[in-house]
Amino acid sequence: MGNLLRLALVLAGKDLRLELRTRTSIISAAVFAALVLIVFNFARDPTAVATLDLAPSVLWVTVAFASVLAMNRGFLVERENAAFDGLLLAPVPREALFLGKYLANFAFVMLVEGIALPLFVLFFNLDLSHALGGLVLTMLLATMGFVAVGTIFSAMVVKTRFAELMLPVLLLPFMVPPLILAVKTTVPLFAGRPLSEVVDGLRFLAIYDIVFVTLAVLLFPAVVDE
Amino acid sequence: MTAAVSGARSVINRGLVLTTLGLLGVAGVMVLALGFTPVEATQGLAQKIFYVHVPAAFIALWVAVPATAFAGLLYLWLHDPRLDRFAAASAEVSLVFCLVVLVTGPIWARPIWGAWWTWDGRLTLTLFLFFLLLGYQTMRAAIRDPVERARFSAVLGAMGLVLVPFIHLSVYLWRGLHPKPIVLKPSDPSLPPEMLHTLLYGIGAALLLYIGFVTLRYGIQLAHDQREAADAR
Amino acid sequence: MPDNGGYLNAAYIVAGIIYLGYTLSLLRQARRR
Repeated sequence: MGNLLRLALVLAGKDLRLELRTRTSIISAAVFAALVLIVFNFARDPTAVATLDLAPSVLWVTVAFASVLAMNRGFLVERENAAFDGLLLAPVPREALFLGKYLANFAFVMLVEGIALPLFVLFFNLDLSHALGGLVLTMLLATMGFVAVGTIFSAMVVKTRFAELMLPVLLLPFMVPPLILAVKTTVPLFAGRPLSEVVDGLRFLAIYDIVFVTLAVLLFPAVVDE
Repeated sequence: MTAAVSGARSVINRGLVLTTLGLLGVAGVMVLALGFTPVEATQGLAQKIFYVHVPAAFIALWVAVPATAFAGLLYLWLHDPRLDRFAAASAEVSLVFCLVVLVTGPIWARPIWGAWWTWDGRLTLTLFLFFLLLGYQTMRAAIRDPVERARFSAVLGAMGLVLVPFIHLSVYLWRGLHPKPIVLKPSDPSLPPEMLHTLLYGIGAALLLYIGFVTLRYGIQLAHDQREAADAR
Repeated sequence: MPDNGGYLNAAYIVAGIIYLGYTLSLLRQARRR
C-alpha cells in the first residue's frame, strides 16, 4: 500500500513538474476563473439581489466550470507524446497510475481554486474571515469528488475526437450532487453559522468522495488495459 | 454466412412482433383509461396522464437503465460482445422512455400544479438519466473500435448507476428548501382497484414495448455487425 | 371537477407520437440493412 502511494506521488510529481514548467495551463485556467467571476458580476443587478444571497452560487458555478476546464489537461500530455503506451508498458500497477494522475489533477484544480477564491472575495466584497476554514474544507471535499470522476473520464475521452467537449458533457451530471452539497454547506457558513451546523453536508460529501474514488480506482484498469 | 444473416433477420422479426404487441398494449391501456377507469375528483381528466407517464417512468428507472448498467458490468467480466450489443440497445430504448416521461410529466404538471416544470424529485432524476444516456450515446458514437467502445460504455454505465442514488438523495436535500405542492402521490396505496388495474396493465404494456424495442434494436445492430464482419473478410 | 381534458389528449397523443416515431425509425433502419 505504501509502495502504491509512493509510486503515485512520483507520477503526480512528474505531472506537476511538467505543468509548472510551461505554466500555460495554470494561467489559462486562472484567467478563465477570473473571467467567469467578472461575467457574473456584470450579469447581476446589485440593487435587485443582495450579494450574499448570490455569492455561494457564483462561487460554486465558477469552481465547477474552472475545474472541468482544468481537468481537460488530464491525459492530454500523454496523448500528444504517445507517452500513454510507454506508461502502460512499464510495470506500474494501474491503481498507482490512476492515483498519480488523480493527485496531480487534484493539486492542479486546488491551485486554480486557490486563485479563484481571493478573486471572488475581492470582486464581491465579502468578509469571509469567519467562514474561511469551513469553506476551504468544503472546497477540498467537493474537489476530491469532481477530480475522481474527471480523471477516469478524461482517460476515456482523450482518444475521441471532441475530447474537450465530451468531458464536460459526461462529467457535469456527476458534479451535481457534490455541487448541491457544497452550496448547502456554504450558505450557512457565509451567513455566519458555525462549522458544527454543516457537518452533515460535509459527511455526505466525504461519502461521495469515498464511493467515487473507489469506483474510479476499480474501473480504471478496464479503461486503460487492452 | 447466410445462416448468420438470417439469424439476425429472425431476431428482427421477433422484435417487430413484440413491438407491435407492445404498441397495441399501450393503445389498449389508453382506451382503458379513457373509457373504463374512473375520473379522479380533485385532478379531473388530466390525472389519466398518469397511466402512460408512470409506466414509462417505471420501465425507464427500474428496468431499462439497470439492464443497461448490469449488461455492461457483465461485459467487463465476460467480454461477450452480445452483452454490449444488448446494453447499447437498452440504452437507446431507455432514452425513448425517458423522453415520454419528460414530455408527459410537464403536460400533467401544468393543469395540476400550475407550472410546467417544478423540479419535482422524480422528474429531475429522469432528466439526469436523460442526460447521462445522451452522454452515453455521444461517447459511443465517438469511439471507432468496438471493443474499446464496449469497455468504455460499461464503465460509464456502472458509474451512472452508482450516481443515481446520489442524485436522488441530493435533489431530495435540495428540495428541502422548495416544498412540493400538495398533490395526489401516484404511488398512493389507497388507489382504488380500477385505477390500480389500469396502472398495472399500463406497466405490462410498457414492459412488452420495451422488450419489443430492445429485441428489434438488437437485431438491427446484429445484422449491421455481421455485415461489417463479412465486408472485412 | 376542473376541465383539463385538453391536456390529457395532448399527453396521450405526444406519447403515442414518440413511441410510433421510434418504431418507424427502427423499421427504416431494419429495412435499409
